[in-house]
Amino acid sequence: MDQKTAGLNITIFFCQQLDTDQDKNRRSLEKELGSRIRFFPLPCSGRIDPLHLLRALESGADMVYLITCPEGACRYREGNLRAWKRVRYARKLIEEIGLEGTRIELITGTAATPVTIDEVARELLAREAVVGVSPVRNSGKHGAESGEHGAESEEHGAESKE
Amino acid sequence: MITAERKPMAEIKAMLEPYRKILVVGCGSCVAECASGGEKEVGLLASALRMDAQMEGRTIEVQEMTLDRQCVYEFIDKLTGVVDRYDVVLSLGCGAGVQAVAEVFPDAFIVPALNTTFIGETKEPGVWIENCRACGDCKLGYFAAVCPVTRCAKGLFNGPCGGSKNGVCEVDPDTPCAWQLIVERLEKAGRTDLLEAFYPPADWSKQQGKGPRKIQREDQRSES
Repeated sequence: MDQKTAGLNITIFFCQQLDTDQDKNRRSLEKELGSRIRFFPLPCSGRIDPLHLLRALESGADMVYLITCPEGACRYREGNLRAWKRVRYARKLIEEIGLEGTRIELITGTAATPVTIDEVARELLAREAVVGVSPVRNSGKHGAESGEHGAESEEHGAESKE
Repeated sequence: MITAERKPMAEIKAMLEPYRKILVVGCGSCVAECASGGEKEVGLLASALRMDAQMEGRTIEVQEMTLDRQCVYEFIDKLTGVVDRYDVVLSLGCGAGVQAVAEVFPDAFIVPALNTTFIGETKEPGVWIENCRACGDCKLGYFAAVCPVTRCAKGLFNGPCGGSKNGVCEVDPDTPCAWQLIVERLEKAGRTDLLEAFYPPADWSKQQGKGPRKIQREDQRSES
């Protein structure tokens, strides 16, 4: 099932080292899918913070992916290993509020062939959706209002101030 | 620094249950260092609370703020004019911070999001360890800067107990024997004479024997 047709919103954080032409490569996909797909390049996947992942979910993403370099191939040695730990932490937190941990997924790039970010994204989009529309999004805007520094005022979290 | 850990979400939710307008206040000092109550943790908790409410169809408003220090009135003052707009303040400060905010805003309802744990040392990123119990009667000068009250499982002032093996405590193999460390450090410093002394029990009245402790320094006070 194509997630595009399933209407899922997808946020993809990814390590820029994976694809040096990432700007060009992701643009056509962004045009094609509009706001249903949002890419957030990171200088290294180790830059991810659980807050980025939560803000993405809060801003309406149904699935949040973090794409890292292959194990042992991190330019900064252990960025991808740290990314794993942060993903696990964020998953635990969302599970505490009854949201499926699987809404946050870590994808490890392959060492064998160089990848382009649009290719990886297309593969993800073509996957069988393991979770449906997020109950956060599904409940509509009648629910919680975010504060001044809430999700609405943040660019999905990746650009949040540190 | 003071270490703390976040309470389980269910407990936080239960405390917030009657309230709709929530001010989440973090502290940028100790609890930020131990990654339990700084700006990021405020963001994570506020985000989780908003999503939780949204999933349950409840209407809540969550505002985020982080003070540089939640236990000093000058910093707490930043909440003036803000606190009254909310039904409840969810504090990510240590117990002292929670109570200081409550002191400054007697009409506000403050609830803690953290369990304050101990005075800790940052051993390595992500690892904090208790080395001081704030007993009020510090004897580190006699024990080569290794506290036997805190770091010896048996709290021995006149050790060692004889139960340690390979330098680790018999009670917990992950804990280095405090007395082994004391002896080694005293040897290095050429002060094994300190081991000859007999150390009487500590004066525990300096800890909590007389209720809450207070330090008053006249030279630091603004009022004469």
